[in-house]
Amino acid sequence: MRNRYLLMSILALMFSAALASSAFAAETAAPAQAEHEGVPLKPAPIVEIGKFAVTNSMLVTWIVAAGIIVFAQIATRTIKPIPSGIQNFWEWLVESLYNFLEGIIGRELVRKTFWFFATIFIFILFVNWFGLIPGVGTIGWGHYDTNGAFHIDRPLLRGGNADLNMTTAMAAIFFLLWIVWALQAQGVGGFLRHLFAPKGETTGVLKILMAVIFFMVGWLEVISILFRPISLSFRLFGNIYAGESILEAMSTMNPYLAPFLPLPFYFMEILVGIVQALVFMLLTAVFTMLIAQHDHGPERAH
Amino acid sequence: MTGSIHVGLAAMGVGIGVGLTGLGMATAVGRNPGAFTQVLVHGILAIAFTEAIVFYALFLLGH
Repeated sequence: MRNRYLLMSILALMFSAALASSAFAAETAAPAQAEHEGVPLKPAPIVEIGKFAVTNSMLVTWIVAAGIIVFAQIATRTIKPIPSGIQNFWEWLVESLYNFLEGIIGRELVRKTFWFFATIFIFILFVNWFGLIPGVGTIGWGHYDTNGAFHIDRPLLRGGNADLNMTTAMAAIFFLLWIVWALQAQGVGGFLRHLFAPKGETTGVLKILMAVIFFMVGWLEVISILFRPISLSFRLFGNIYAGESILEAMSTMNPYLAPFLPLPFYFMEILVGIVQALVFMLLTAVFTMLIAQHDHGPERAH
Repeated sequence: MTGSIHVGLAAMGVGIGVGLTGLGMATAVGRNPGAFTQVLVHGILAIAFTEAIVFYALFLLGH
C-alpha cells in the first residue's frame, strides 16, 4: 500500500512539474524589469531553448521535488519493523496526515485520494520553506546602478509558489481529478442531480417552485465551482508572493537594520508556509468530500 | 495615483468577513473543543466562499 502511494506521489510530482513548466512557460519569456523595485511578478528565465524557457521558480520546484523523492527513497530503502531516524519521521508525517484526513473526509474516500492530498501538502510545504532559505532570490545576475549599488535582475532561484504558473498548474490538476472523482462517485446523472436537483421534501406547487429555485441555484454553484481553481491558485500565489515582497522590502529598507528587520517576518513566513499548505490540502479535500459523499435521500436532515 | 475602488472595497469586506468567520470558529472550538475537526471543515469552507468575492472583484477589474 505504501509503495503504491509513493509511486503515485512521485508521478503526481513529476506531472505537476512538467505541466507547470511546459504549458505556461511561454508567457514568462519577458525579461525582468530592470528599474522595478521589489520582487517582479513574473519569474525570470535562466535558460531558453527555443520558446521553452527554464525559469528560476521552475528550478526550485524541480530541486524540491527531487529532494522529496530522494528523501522518501532513502527513508524507505531498508524498512525496519521498529522505525528510527528518517523512516520514523516519514512514517510519522504520512500517518498523521492520513489520520487527519480520515477524520475529515471519511475512511473510504481517504483510501482513494490520500496520495494526492498528501503529495500536495508535503510538496507545497517544502516549496514554501525552500523559498525562505537565504540565497533564494538574492543570488543571481544583476547590474550596478549609477551609485554603484548592485541590483539583482535575474535571481538564480525564486520561491516556487511565488510563481502563478505553478499554483495554477496544481489547481488545474486538482480540478481535473475532482471531476474524475465526482463522476466515479456519483456518475454523470448523479453529478448533475447533485448540482441541480431540489433537496428536501416538498409537495404540490411548492415542489415545482423549489425545483425552479434549485435549478437556478445550481447555476450559481457551477460558477462557484469554476472559480475554485482560480481562488486556490491565487490564494497560494498571493500569500507566498506577498511574503517574498515583504522580506525584500524589509531587507532593503534600512542598510543598518537590514540583518534584523526581516527576522520577525521570516518567522511569520514559516508559519504562513505551513498554513497555506494546510489550507490548500484542506480545501481540496473538503471540495472532494462535498461532491463524493453519497446523498442518503430525504432522511438526511440539514 | 490610480486604482480601482471596487477591489479595495471587496478586500475590506472580505477581510471583515474572514475575521468574523475566524472569530466564530475560535469561539466554537473554545466552547466545544471536541468539535474541532467539524468546526475546522465548515470554517475553512466559509472562508473559501468569502474569499472568492475578492477574486470576482479582481476579475471584473480586467474589463
